[in-house]
Amino acid sequence: RYSSMKDYLSELDKETKKALETFYGFSEGKSKVRRSVEEWNSTGSDLFKQIPLLKFEDFSKTATDLRSGQKRRVEGSVFHKDSSIVNSGDSNDIIGFQLCDANNSSECALYTFSSGVNAIQEWYKLHYMNIMAQIPLETKEKLSYSADDLLLTCFFDGLSCDKRHFTRFHHPLHGNCYTFNSGENGTVLSTSTAGSEYGLQVVLFIDEADYNPFLVTSTGAKIIVHDQNEYPFIEDIGTEIETAAVTSIGMHFTRSRKLSKPYSDCTETGADIPVENLYNKSYSLQICLHSCFQKAMVDSCGCAQYAQPLPAGAEYCNYKKNPNWMYCYYRLHEKFVKEQLGCQQICKDACSFKEWALTTSIAQWPSAVSEDWMLRVLSWDKGQKINKKLNKTDLANLMVFYKDLNERFISENPANTLVILLSNFGGQLGLWMSCSVVCVIEIVEVFFIDSLSIVMRRQWQKAKRWWNHRQQERLGKPPQ
Amino acid sequence: EEEKEEGLIEFYDSFKDMFEFFCKNTTIHGTIRLVCSGSNRMKTAFWTLLLLASFGMLYWQFGLMFSQYWAYPVVLTMSMHSEAKMFPAITICNLDPYRFDLVSGDLVQLDRMAEESIAFLYGINVSASILHLNDKNIHLKDLSNIGNLSRSSFKLSRNFSLLRMPDHNNRSGKKHFSVGFKLCNATGGNCFYKTYSSGMNAILEWYRFHYMNIMSQLPVIINISDHEEQIEDMVYSCQYDGEPCRPSDYVHFHHPVFGSCYTFNSKGTDPFWTATKPGIPYGLSLILRAEQKDHIPLLSTVAGVKVMIHNHNQTPFLEHEGFDIRPGIATTIGIQQDEVNRLGGNYGKCTTNGDDVNVKLLYNNSYTLQACLHSCFQHIMVRKCGCGYYYYPLPPGAEYCNYNKQPAWGHCFYQLYSRLRNHHLNCFDQCPKPCRESLYKVSAGTAKWPSSKSQDWVRQALRHQNGYNSTSNRKDIAKVTIFYQQLNYQSVDESPLLSENLLLSSMGSQWSLWFGSSVLSVVEMLELLIDTLVLSLLFCYQRFRSKKTLKVTHTPTIPS
Repeated sequence: RYSSMKDYLSELDKETKKALETFYGFSEGKSKVRRSVEEWNSTGSDLFKQIPLLKFEDFSKTATDLRSGQKRRVEGSVFHKDSSIVNSGDSNDIIGFQLCDANNSSECALYTFSSGVNAIQEWYKLHYMNIMAQIPLETKEKLSYSADDLLLTCFFDGLSCDKRHFTRFHHPLHGNCYTFNSGENGTVLSTSTAGSEYGLQVVLFIDEADYNPFLVTSTGAKIIVHDQNEYPFIEDIGTEIETAAVTSIGMHFTRSRKLSKPYSDCTETGADIPVENLYNKSYSLQICLHSCFQKAMVDSCGCAQYAQPLPAGAEYCNYKKNPNWMYCYYRLHEKFVKEQLGCQQICKDACSFKEWALTTSIAQWPSAVSEDWMLRVLSWDKGQKINKKLNKTDLANLMVFYKDLNERFISENPANTLVILLSNFGGQLGLWMSCSVVCVIEIVEVFFIDSLSIVMRRQWQKAKRWWNHRQQERLGKPPQ
Repeated sequence: EEEKEEGLIEFYDSFKDMFEFFCKNTTIHGTIRLVCSGSNRMKTAFWTLLLLASFGMLYWQFGLMFSQYWAYPVVLTMSMHSEAKMFPAITICNLDPYRFDLVSGDLVQLDRMAEESIAFLYGINVSASILHLNDKNIHLKDLSNIGNLSRSSFKLSRNFSLLRMPDHNNRSGKKHFSVGFKLCNATGGNCFYKTYSSGMNAILEWYRFHYMNIMSQLPVIINISDHEEQIEDMVYSCQYDGEPCRPSDYVHFHHPVFGSCYTFNSKGTDPFWTATKPGIPYGLSLILRAEQKDHIPLLSTVAGVKVMIHNHNQTPFLEHEGFDIRPGIATTIGIQQDEVNRLGGNYGKCTTNGDDVNVKLLYNNSYTLQACLHSCFQHIMVRKCGCGYYYYPLPPGAEYCNYNKQPAWGHCFYQLYSRLRNHHLNCFDQCPKPCRESLYKVSAGTAKWPSSKSQDWVRQALRHQNGYNSTSNRKDIAKVTIFYQQLNYQSVDESPLLSENLLLSSMGSQWSLWFGSSVLSVVEMLELLIDTLVLSLLFCYQRFRSKKTLKVTHTPTIPS
């Protein structure tokens, strides 16, 4: 909720607006901008001084600082966030930012983006995480949307449902998210028949005016279909839904199961993997990778990255306490992407996983004729909290349902079990030698046990004879 | 006497004889050791143990094998086929149900009642938006005399009015209301409230309930084709494989919620619809009117067109698998076919054509699971409540529910429905899956259409040719292209993992592994068993006889 976050973010927003002005609005009259920026500098905090947005000409390594407006040489290596580096000529102004090691200021990394939009968003996100890391979780949950705000109507399997069927969890970047049928209170709802009437139908209230203009540039909602035990990685695999439309999502369910050792290198529960599961959910490869990275982050940077849960005894990074963390983070992230951290080697696939294949279709909603009565009824439902009449771009209708109740179950079976192995063995033995286990034992008996016993007996008799001979000799001697 | 018997059948003198003979002459490995090494007690014991152990092993393996066989495991084999095939059947609906002339008076009344309820509940006056539209009614000429009859008898019931009640389950201090309506059984007892947390859902459900009652007075068979609504009013342009569609290519029907629907290529026999090449230019391309001129605005709140891709001769259940098309958007839908063949029989429940299913299908199309479930529910509904649910077809002799005739049907229906949900009606057990199923995987992309530059001439062209007469800037046309992404389709076939052949061969292999013998040795063992039986019978007989003779000789001596 942007409006309630304003107090925390006002300085950052001011800075961003300034940057936009400098780079795009007043690219001709630099002197004028410089003055205004300097004015602001005198009053503003020095939080953002360390990592300003930079604009510099390609390859010349001279950068224009946002605050000073001066050109200066930039030391250090240049990292490009995208692969296509130059499209020669026309776009020689590149926006980026510089991260330096606090202890050793000569070691700097420069991040550049081919598009200013990406640069500003990435830069904003970086600062946003810093600010959010300082706010305790309870406050953040309060600042974000409540289930009452978000849900206008709810309908499941032909019956009415409400916010009690939803469980809240807080996502660092997306704010409060709600899970329907999370199974937290012990009951898992099931659907009786396929079809859109029997699925989940919700109308969501999306306050378009209350969006953070820099953090997210699209309006709508994000949904993800997952198992009760699975952690929803909403930033990675969410499906976005649109406002002023009904989105029907038909699902096909697939369950797969692999055989674990010795057939393949996968893990059943994740207990055999030396990475602590930071999420309170069942194991998945994604969870392992995130946990592994977070652990490496705590080990090498001394604090935890904001987008992932905290390991025991650690705290989130913010540049008041850890001025160095951003440089460290980007370095580490680069290593992680290049598979130098060893996370990809440690983490294994989960043996069983569930998958929902989604088919999405969109129709216009509400239709022009029904718009009037429906918006009024919904506004009334929403109650006295908001006095304005709802706009249709504030609403999103979502239907999630099974297209059919067929479940696809893919499982691996060992091609050779003990029974099959033995019968193959017996078949071959019978075909070529007309022989069986009994005859194998016979061979063993004749050639090993019997001959051995014969040899043994001979030896024994020999020894006995020799002993008798000796005894006799000894006995025979005294009489001699 | 004994000599005589021996002369008839030459037989062993004792068990030991028999056993020795068996051990020496049988083809089972190892038994001969029992006799040969008779002098060595230890060896005999060892071999006995060994034989017993391998016998045990054999039967353990047999047990595993049979338990595996009786579980009837199947293997799925996936194969790609690439033969020319028919384009699937396509059904499109305009989400705009008719106002039939016969019931329009009642519908106007219902709209007024809805308006009153909304005003009562929310204090909002919405009359303008609802009532200005009933200008276009569908008149059924040949049925007007029946209509007069039912019109006079039908009365909109005011017993089921929308109420607002406090939500008791709410723990927070805020006042929370849920909206719903009351349903009672025939005597007025056993009432319950059907409530919804949101007024929108409550109004929609309440409206649907009344709508079903009103529509039930319409005759079951409506000849829609002779009224003025033509395919040209909805489909402005239709092309398949670069050629215009022919007027005989579609079937028209009316769906109570989704409005008028057209099914293209419903039979799948016309060679015109053979799919020869994959790709967008060779698919079905339609320009549709998706006008938001809802005749019944409270029934559905969605605007657009519903498209469903299904098999030939299959009833399209649009509420289950329909794909929405937005007005003002060009949608390209790529399809890919998957075929599933199930084995049936012991390997899993399925039906080839629905003949062996207990439920009588009410749809006269090929069997599908959904059709069976709907039919099953309708049969139970007719049996329990005495009338049929309006959205499903009627069994012979029944009629649709109408609260003038069956005042308690709503009560009965909603209870039955919740029992279906909780799997208390055994419809799910009665309806097996079809053995052969075709699934169409759909993926879609969208673009704005017509573009702002081309908008003017597109509209102009449509106006000239199709009498399209929209002057407003509202988005009300849509373009759909449905095409095969690839012509080869995946078929997934079940085949038994363990056939009888395989079972026998692995049994033989096991036997030869543990005993080195064949079926004949099994017969030998059987022979041994029979011999033992006969011999013991013989001994018994002899003993009995000797006892009897003893008795006969002794009895006279006892009393004396």
